[in-house]
Amino acid sequence: MSAAPRQTELLPTASARRTWAVLGEGVRASRRTVALAVAAVLAGGAAGLVAPWVLGDIVDAVAAGEGMDAVLRSVALIAVAAVVGGVFTGLGGWFVGRAGETILARLRERVMDRVLHMPAARLERVRLGDLLSRVGDDVAVVTAGIARNGADLVVAAATVLLTAAGMTALDWRLGLAGLCAMPVYVLALRWYLPRSGPYYARERVAMGERSHAMIGALRGRSAVRAYRLEAEHEGRVGDRSRAAMDITLSVFRLFTRFGARLNAAECAGLAAVLVTGFWLVRADLVTVGMVTSAALYFHRLFGPMIFLVMSFNEVQSAGASLARLAGVADLPAEPEPDTGRDPEDSSLRVEEVVHTYGNGAPPALDEVSLEVAPGERVALVGASGAGKTTLAAVVCGLREPTSGGVYLGGVPLAELGERRVREHVYLVSQETHVFSGTLLEDLALARPEAGEAEALAALERVGALEWVRALPEGLHTVVGEGGHTLTSEQAQHLALARLVLADPPVAVLDEATAEAGSSGARRLERAALAATEGRTTLVVAHRLTQAQAADRVVVMDGGRVVEQGTHDGLVAAGGRYAALWRSWQGAPAGQGPSGTPAALG
Amino acid sequence: MNTPADPRVPADVRSLRTRTLARNRRDIALGTALLSLHQAAEALVPVAIGVTVDRAVFTGDPLALAWCTAGIVALFTVLATAYRFGARFTLRAAENEAHLLRVETARRALDPRGERSGLRAGEVLSVATSDAEQASLYTQAWARSIAMVTAIAVTTAALLAVDVPLGLGVLLGVPLFMLLMRFPAEHIARRSEAKQAAAAGATALATDLVGGLRVLMGIGARHNAALRYRRASARALEASVSAAASNGLYRGLVTAGGALFLACVAGVAGWMAIEGRLSIGELVTVVGLAQFLAEPVQGLGMVGQAFATARASALRIVRLLNAPDAVAPGGHPLRTEPVVELSGVTYKSLRGLDLSLAPGEFVGVLATDPRDAEALLELLSGSAGREQVGGTAAVGGVSVHDLDLAALRGAVLVEDHGATLFEGTLRSNLLVGADLDDPGLLSALRAAAAEDLVTGHPEGLDRPVADRAANLSGGQRQRVALARALAADPPVLVLHDPTTAVDAVTEGAIAEGVARARAGRDPAGATLVITSGPALLARADRVVVVDGGRATAQGTHESLAEEHPRYGEAVLR
Repeated sequence: MSAAPRQTELLPTASARRTWAVLGEGVRASRRTVALAVAAVLAGGAAGLVAPWVLGDIVDAVAAGEGMDAVLRSVALIAVAAVVGGVFTGLGGWFVGRAGETILARLRERVMDRVLHMPAARLERVRLGDLLSRVGDDVAVVTAGIARNGADLVVAAATVLLTAAGMTALDWRLGLAGLCAMPVYVLALRWYLPRSGPYYARERVAMGERSHAMIGALRGRSAVRAYRLEAEHEGRVGDRSRAAMDITLSVFRLFTRFGARLNAAECAGLAAVLVTGFWLVRADLVTVGMVTSAALYFHRLFGPMIFLVMSFNEVQSAGASLARLAGVADLPAEPEPDTGRDPEDSSLRVEEVVHTYGNGAPPALDEVSLEVAPGERVALVGASGAGKTTLAAVVCGLREPTSGGVYLGGVPLAELGERRVREHVYLVSQETHVFSGTLLEDLALARPEAGEAEALAALERVGALEWVRALPEGLHTVVGEGGHTLTSEQAQHLALARLVLADPPVAVLDEATAEAGSSGARRLERAALAATEGRTTLVVAHRLTQAQAADRVVVMDGGRVVEQGTHDGLVAAGGRYAALWRSWQGAPAGQGPSGTPAALG
Repeated sequence: MNTPADPRVPADVRSLRTRTLARNRRDIALGTALLSLHQAAEALVPVAIGVTVDRAVFTGDPLALAWCTAGIVALFTVLATAYRFGARFTLRAAENEAHLLRVETARRALDPRGERSGLRAGEVLSVATSDAEQASLYTQAWARSIAMVTAIAVTTAALLAVDVPLGLGVLLGVPLFMLLMRFPAEHIARRSEAKQAAAAGATALATDLVGGLRVLMGIGARHNAALRYRRASARALEASVSAAASNGLYRGLVTAGGALFLACVAGVAGWMAIEGRLSIGELVTVVGLAQFLAEPVQGLGMVGQAFATARASALRIVRLLNAPDAVAPGGHPLRTEPVVELSGVTYKSLRGLDLSLAPGEFVGVLATDPRDAEALLELLSGSAGREQVGGTAAVGGVSVHDLDLAALRGAVLVEDHGATLFEGTLRSNLLVGADLDDPGLLSALRAAAAEDLVTGHPEGLDRPVADRAANLSGGQRQRVALARALAADPPVLVLHDPTTAVDAVTEGAIAEGVARARAGRDPAGATLVITSGPALLARADRVVVVDGGRATAQGTHESLAEEHPRYGEAVLR
């Protein structure tokens, strides 16, 4: 229950150049697929140009009074182009999808790798929400961008470019006339984007507030009822819903004005093509058929152009998410010190450790020294904020001490490096997390090569076999989010079984057993004793029976060690621990010689 | 107890839809008319191109060109304006309906009497958020489908005006082609669902692993977790690539099929033009219309989907709105002081429970079965249905079922074990049931042994509390919820396991603080604590042991510990 660290930092976001570079690396890695994708899309787009062109020929043939042969030839040409176009468009879609998804998969794996292997010190500083949004929302946004629009965007862009080329190939003047629309499109975008950006940001905020109001009220329904806050929460939902609606409507007003500007661009381009064509036909520079082709080309562009322009926002937000992913992917992989010294034994030594959470805050640990012999069981006792949890984290190397050192078998933690520390010290923390998947998969996180028999043996050792057997599918029951919900006692059992599987020489236990109720807490205590047998063990004692079972009890207060000794010795000594023990035994508080229990807190 | 008496609550999907259309009729009507006009204008663009080629480009008549250009500008003006305003009216109808449904479902879900829709908490949330939005899309689906039909009708008219058999051919051909494309499209939809599921699975795994990152670190399992994610990501990739393949196939079929159809139309129209049955302009028009027609036909297919989604959502909304109340409270105020009297109460797991709580008393309840505790809490918070309860359960001399809910909840505050805090600040959370100044709030925090949350923080009482109080530890949340209940200072306070997330030392401080705060109330407040914490039980005036649904022993903590060996076992020590 130590105070949350106050200094937080955001994970890095890559610059535009770095984002392109990371993307470029991905493209290079799947060079062949990308090349094939580009070739297929271009070929498909080119085949699509044939039909309008040939339709122009038909117009000319009709105008020239030619026979049916010319028409049939043209029709055959369109048919052949149709088949070719279909094949290449299909291949293009497939290759674009494959290339894009592969690049994305490699990127998300790299991001997840960096996040999972983030050094403990950095992990303490970043916000969990930031981490979650990178591996969750950002990946989802980029995936959706690629999945929903990726192939369409590439095809639309190719269609626009090729059609413009086709018009120019008919006659450069017709092509130029079609280009008249371009500046109008650009102006429309430049009018719209700077205006809509802030609106969309506000809309997202408003929608976020709306769902917060809704979720907060509904999730806390029992508290809302108990405190009779129904009207207040209902009012808040209504207000925020209306505010979000107002913003949505004004964004949309802006959007429809943008739409009108896009229509104006279409109108300008089409009129320019037809008028130019008119004069070119009069001057006998082009045929009526060519003008028809050009107009049909241009009409064909409406769809892809609108799609490209409208996707601008989505592309932008996918780009922003991509930059956030690239920023994490760019984090350096953590170097492992490779000095050969291994811990001599499973002893633990804490030497004058000071730990401060922030500038100016009182130290959470104030020159704490402690030695634990191999196989010894030591219990830490003290009020919330006495520094027990912080000490446990420092011993595990999850927090770096501000000064002082921690030694494992005579070797400083820093020298061992994170990976080897993990092999030697195992922490069962207050935070229980049941990983979603089957129970076996959850256990296998501690030791992937563990088979079913070993998993069952570990469960038996902590006394969890009975309830696991009673689950609908035993070890293969899906647990965690969306699966079978485990009670907090069962989740703790699972954490202890993981400890047995991992089999480390040193164990640090900082578990909250009280959630499980009295009988559950006792079962868990027995399980913890069984799981840590033979290991050097440091127990943060939330319940004094845990202290009673330890070889030695260390009492902490205000970040310092104030008393230590065996349980019996300390009780006999009549100090703080003795007072605590009496109040725990149920004697009315305030009757002991050292005053109320609160005197410790 | 039964269906809401309010006749304005729609009884089924049909009446919900009727109400939707009725209360947004102006916006829907205007939107539909304008969007139809827009679609008609879109359909006329290829006609305009044909006419221009025919009358101006082919003839070389500048006056005709001027007329045609003016016509095109006019057509686009109509097209753009109709869309601009039509889309606005349509969206306003949808947004307004979504807002009304959202507020209505939230009100139903939050009603003090509760609801028995059978929906789980998460489902109620999704009804009030996403279903309210989806159901309102009904308005847009209407407007769009009518507009699409208009576009098809205009195209039909234009084609038939050019040539009747050709027009009929195109009109039958396009829908037939779209119908044929439905089969591969359904296959694609399945593939892409599988792909989305795999991608969502990988993302869920990622957030799950990162959510448990500290646990992973503690057990040195980060490398194993990374391997597991890589496997899930590879599975997602495989699904995406296979979806991309079928998607590509579909895309290729649509492209080839569309172009082949166009070749047929062009061939027939070209032949007719050579025969002199069509002019050049008509030829262009037919080809252009054939190209255009695919859009509204395809669009109509999508609108069908929108209707189906909106219907499914509407169904869930109707179910929630029509859910019977969980309780049917009476309208009586308390008759006497707020004494709690339970005698021979049967409810859920309770089998004739006797329990009393006098003003100023501090009573501990040790329930050996958590279900007994839950049942007792439901009873006291007024959320137990009248017909399920036997015996007498009275507060202030009136049966809890006859009490006005506001009167009951004003007299008895049940602070549940769940400890839901609201997003805001520490202060806003403490003030939900109280009207206190800072020293008052601080003394409530002190009584809950939670003063360190304020003194150790630069922002003090204005310290932010995040959504789900995610920025507080379990023990901090529990103590803040307790301080909130103490600040509300109700005549009767019922606490459920208020110290499960704190250590023994803090529990002692809390027991002392709660007892003092409640005794210091004027008049002294009654307190019922359901707990197995020894410090709280030791501080109570009297402890009642509830075993097997009834009170089996009663006395002080010390006497019970001495006389009943099972008591000592049950107390959390």
